[in-house]
Amino acid sequence: MGRGRRTGVAVMLLLAVTSGCASPAATGQRAAGGTSGVTVTVTTRSLPEVGTVLVTGKGYALYMFVPDRRRAVTCTGVCAGTWPPLMLPSGATLAAGPGVKAALLGSDPAPGGGRVVTYNGWPLYTYTGDVEPGQVTGQAIDLNGGPWYVLRPSGAPLEPGP
Amino acid sequence: MTAPLPSSPRTGPGRRAVLLGAGVAAGAAGASAVWALTGPSAAAPVPAAPGIPPDDDLMREHGVLKRVLLCYREMTRRIQAGDPVAAPDLHDAALIIHDYIEGFHEGLEEGYVFPRLRREPAVAGTVTTLLVQHARGRVLTQFILANGTARDLASPGTGGRLAAAMQAFVRMYEPHEAREDTVIFPAFRQAVPAAELADLGQHFADLERQQFGRDEFGAMVARVTSIEQHLGIYDLSQFTPQVGPFLPGT
Repeated sequence: MGRGRRTGVAVMLLLAVTSGCASPAATGQRAAGGTSGVTVTVTTRSLPEVGTVLVTGKGYALYMFVPDRRRAVTCTGVCAGTWPPLMLPSGATLAAGPGVKAALLGSDPAPGGGRVVTYNGWPLYTYTGDVEPGQVTGQAIDLNGGPWYVLRPSGAPLEPGP
Repeated sequence: MTAPLPSSPRTGPGRRAVLLGAGVAAGAAGASAVWALTGPSAAAPVPAAPGIPPDDDLMREHGVLKRVLLCYREMTRRIQAGDPVAAPDLHDAALIIHDYIEGFHEGLEEGYVFPRLRREPAVAGTVTTLLVQHARGRVLTQFILANGTARDLASPGTGGRLAAAMQAFVRMYEPHEAREDTVIFPAFRQAVPAAELADLGQHFADLERQQFGRDEFGAMVARVTSIEQHLGIYDLSQFTPQVGPFLPGT
């Protein structure tokens, strides 16, 4: 694949990830094309059946991926199609909403560039199955190489009991 | 309240990581994502066989899905009739769905196809429904994988629930994939310039090799063929009807 072809795919990916599905949940609150002044907010919300968990500024549930092991972003490529990571655009501000411990917020590099927001060391992702804010349809789903859980404001994953 | 932005020091991404991380990069930082795939550190992957168009690729994966649906249907019939179903066959059928359809095929749709159509008024509602159905299907598959043991199959209660789960899965995915083939993929083809489509076909092929280490389609066809043989539904000719009663003049 030559440079031109790779450019085409990259541009398509850019359009794809920033234009729809869970992307409103997974990117900052201003459209791409200048990230100065963009704020990425992590906040909390009480959701049916799971209680209070982390959500994006728009109310989409945030998940952690067990294979990340609080070390690195491992859900990439096809996996990231289903679980779009919460990206922190260059120059953007990361904000902690009510209930969120600011000290637990951070970011990890994404393997392909850019940074992914972390909480208590866990890279954060949204789920394409959550088509509306306030849904939590990806909780405890085992997919793309491991299980996915929502996170408590304490930073602990909501793993099902024995 | 604004938090500091601690950054964990990491080594730079390797070639494989850059390619695998394309979707992440694109969502992350715009121009840097493009650079990640075009800059000098992102050399081309191992040359792959010429890619087929992405929608054709997705439709042939639908063929694998359709054959697993036929297996599920036969297994459901057997459970409901009190006939035996081999647990390894059920498990393998569900694993094909879990690993190849839900863990790969649907990721391609969700990461590359659906986002291009979310703002097309004619299909946006359909895309939302398809996303919800993907999520529901994963719940059913997780149930089948967790409860598809020989003991579960022999239990009237669990066996009945397994049959119900498979029935629900088949009922949902038959119209689901038909709608994608006839509405979503044609709309996608119309929305994306031809050159980008060609690039994406190649990219899909690269992703398949990166995820599975080979062209997984052929391996999946072989696995579903084996399940069909065990179930006695492989021989296509058995489904050819006698048409005597329907001939003109009868």
